[in-house]
Amino acid sequence: MVLDIRDQAAIVGIGVSEFGRNLPASQLMLGAVAFKAALADAGLTRDAVDGLSIHLGWPLGVDYDRVADAFGLEIRYVNQAWLHGRFVTQSLQHAALAVATGMADVVACVTAISFTRVRDFLGGPGDHEGTREEGGTHGEAPVYGLTGPASGAALAMQRYMARYGATSAQLAAVPIAIRKHALMNPNAVMKKPLSLADHQAARWVVEPLRLFDCCPVTDGAAVVLVTSMARARDLKQPPVAITSMQGIRAGREEFIFAPPRLGINQQPTGQVTPRPADLEVFRKAGLSPQDIAGFYTYDAFSPLVLFALERFGHCAAGEAATWVQNGRIELGGALPVNTSGGLLSEVHIGGWNSICEIARQLRGQAGARQVADARHLQWGTCWGDSIIFSKA
Amino acid sequence: MDQAKPLPRISPDNQAFWAGCKRHELVLPFCTACGKPHLPPGPVCPFCLGDTLEWRRASGHGVVSSWTVVHQPWFPAFKADLPYNVVQVELAEGPRLTANLVGAPNAVLRVGLPVEVVFDDVTPDVTLPRFRPLTP
Repeated sequence: MVLDIRDQAAIVGIGVSEFGRNLPASQLMLGAVAFKAALADAGLTRDAVDGLSIHLGWPLGVDYDRVADAFGLEIRYVNQAWLHGRFVTQSLQHAALAVATGMADVVACVTAISFTRVRDFLGGPGDHEGTREEGGTHGEAPVYGLTGPASGAALAMQRYMARYGATSAQLAAVPIAIRKHALMNPNAVMKKPLSLADHQAARWVVEPLRLFDCCPVTDGAAVVLVTSMARARDLKQPPVAITSMQGIRAGREEFIFAPPRLGINQQPTGQVTPRPADLEVFRKAGLSPQDIAGFYTYDAFSPLVLFALERFGHCAAGEAATWVQNGRIELGGALPVNTSGGLLSEVHIGGWNSICEIARQLRGQAGARQVADARHLQWGTCWGDSIIFSKA
Repeated sequence: MDQAKPLPRISPDNQAFWAGCKRHELVLPFCTACGKPHLPPGPVCPFCLGDTLEWRRASGHGVVSSWTVVHQPWFPAFKADLPYNVVQVELAEGPRLTANLVGAPNAVLRVGLPVEVVFDDVTPDVTLPRFRPLTP
């Protein structure tokens, strides 16, 4: 028999540190600030936390045991993912599974990042991931000078543009919308408005990505507390239900930063998005894309937003670049995306800033950014993993 | 300066590929069971899990399947080359290989551009495959 996870786990506390660049605090200090803020938010003491799902460690930070030690925790369940945006969803999913199966009562999902202190690893000779024996995951080819995560998004967007006729000016709608959201969020790192002219005048980083298609390198931390729905109902905040989940996809049809079958690296070429398997998260929730009031996604590079929207059927394959125009993904539009500013303009802490924003929205605590009638919000990435959250 | 550019990391799985380049031959691992070639070189055939791979010479022809021009000075050793291109080439045999385009300006880059392999002896021990536009 399959365990029915629907609405069995909930987010009950969120906490963030200051976000910024060149912050003097250590990663553990940023994490401690976020952890204490999450406890206060949930009305829990640290003794309640008996599980850790941590998203840090190599090539930045510490392992789970040091986190437990530093924060004085007694832990009986651990999941650890290394610092890669791909592992946000699975870190939350492990937390939900742990509380639903009784392996832990309260799991703290912890990320803490000081990118500005060790930025060399994001490309160039210090990019240990991209220069591994079997190479990096983003299509890196250091022998030819191709390095860093942006390269993979660039290769994918170039082929996508050739295939569907999308343009850089259309792509600009993504960072522009997300910047507008950041300007409504005092904690966001990016403070200046972004226009189409600004986007088009900006320098290339790796064609066809311009400066504003790439998120800034930043520091910050977030902690998200997850417990069972039964316990959540007795806590301080309105519970944010984890309604349905689907895992990250892998295989020869996939490339980290491309839609399935776009034809990057060894992907076969063919149009398949969205496939029934991509929409499992809706079936499990008894919902359809039309029921989603806001969409949250990993937006380290603006093309990834297009790919994720298509993957989950919010628009058809090849349609996203036109679909995102005219405010459709802005607050007040048909499907607001990354309403606190995402990685592109709030902070790059893997995407946990958007998980916190989902919680604020479903509790009705998002202030000027509040999405009207937000009952169901979706976290879904270009990798095909997703969680639908609901107002309990 | 050139010596500071990264060199391929030779592994037991890809050693034959780089040995082929040294001989100025583009070779691919073909599965003797299902007949398909694959890249990057793996321990077994990713299509049928066959154990026996045979390195055979490829045509060296293909088309650009994606490309980029790098403007970010990521590697000090590549700084003098900026802006430089990187291409993914879909080989006539099917697998795709990442390299760069030589013998033509970046302005000719497009998805679908027919290309052929050329070899560049970058050190006494290492030869890199690159591509140039295929002249009809």
